[in-house]
Amino acid sequence: MHQRTVPCHYFAPQKTEEALEILSRYGEEIKIIAGGTDLLVQYYDRLYEVGSWLDLKNIKELKEIKIHQNQMEIGAMVTHTQLEKSEDIKKYFPILSQAAADIGSPQIRNRGTIGGNIVNASPAGDLLAPLMAYDAQFKLQSNQREMIVPAEEFFVGPKKTILKPDQLLTRIILPLPSERTYGSWIKIGKRKALIIATITLALVVEMAEDNKTIKDVRTCLGSVAPTPIEIKEIRKKMAGKNFSQLDFNQLGQIVEDKISPIDDIRGTREYRKDVAKNIMINALEEIGSARRSYK
Amino acid sequence: MSKLIIELTINDKKRKVETTASTRLLDLIRDDLHLTGTKEGCGKGECGACTVIMNGELIASCLVLAPQADGAVITTIEGVGNGENLDPVQEAFIETGAVQCGFCTPGMILAAKKLLEENSHPTEGEIKRGISGNLCRCTGYQKIFDAINLAANRLLKRDGGKGEKDV
Repeated sequence: MHQRTVPCHYFAPQKTEEALEILSRYGEEIKIIAGGTDLLVQYYDRLYEVGSWLDLKNIKELKEIKIHQNQMEIGAMVTHTQLEKSEDIKKYFPILSQAAADIGSPQIRNRGTIGGNIVNASPAGDLLAPLMAYDAQFKLQSNQREMIVPAEEFFVGPKKTILKPDQLLTRIILPLPSERTYGSWIKIGKRKALIIATITLALVVEMAEDNKTIKDVRTCLGSVAPTPIEIKEIRKKMAGKNFSQLDFNQLGQIVEDKISPIDDIRGTREYRKDVAKNIMINALEEIGSARRSYK
Repeated sequence: MSKLIIELTINDKKRKVETTASTRLLDLIRDDLHLTGTKEGCGKGECGACTVIMNGELIASCLVLAPQADGAVITTIEGVGNGENLDPVQEAFIETGAVQCGFCTPGMILAAKKLLEENSHPTEGEIKRGISGNLCRCTGYQKIFDAINLAANRLLKRDGGKGEKDV
């Protein structure tokens, strides 16, 4: 194996501020590592190429899930297992919990983190469509400044984000949804465990006080475009209507028409378009029956 | 490559090991600690052959850097039973013939132990999910499910559990 002559540094600070200070010094020279479940696969046979590591494992505040006024703050180091099991997440953001439960395997869910899933920015990242559907914002910090950006502005292409080398994603901020908010999560893949999604759908519907009129809708998909996307036309079609007036088939067709998937090893463009329509219909049916049983 | 020293508790023994930041926990376990029951299959977290229990959680040791395990408490297959006294899960694997080539077995047993710790009475679906990170390429899954059911029954009896489960 190739031997480096330059020293390799490994940092595991206790505080976010220290991590930001290290980042400002090293910038692109350093790799940030959280759960490592994506990063160490990418560097599988070339770990020696990494000059320095910034390990976030000791920063306790990044592992917390907190409710603060009308929003939830999820630390970037919260694992998929935590998301799956957290009672607060199950209560307020059930499809985020379901999506976390569908990731990889127990071994992967125990290490992989929400922040890692976001900054890795795979178009197939399982948490990304649910996060967009729940209107997530991301807090990015450097030792110069901090900013909060909406999820849809964060992703710019496959594995590309607006994150700068001196910035760290520290928190995911989600507004608490109203009681009459319903969600449906559907992941399609060739097997249940350890699969990169062929297509994912996160549909969140907020009903008005009367529980009949639709107030707001977010229809977000993964693995169908260079980034996770929202189909905004669905919101226009559904908002203000009564749930029973909806034409599920027509709404499914809109999803099919608005996505631009590629042919790849996991599925063809045509297959993904067909499936997108069908899972949209399934998701609407699921929400329809959940809404009817609401007391 | 600059060296660093980490300390960990492995199979109830405290160990100090000199390593590097680019060494995987898997290599530290096998090459430095000579605990070769932990296997390398894919090296990418997909097969589970390198499974160990770290700080109470099932993990793939090929996806952890050695310094990430500094201060950790780790159990490898060598820490489960010994030649004389086997763990009930190990006994059940032997009795049901759940071991074929044996390469997946250390990881399977650790995954099964962890599953039964969290859920003493798993359904078939829960067993499948519990070992979904571990591949057996001899495809002896049915006998592995049987072994986990048998172990669950025995543990329930031993621990004075209430219900017995049909195997």
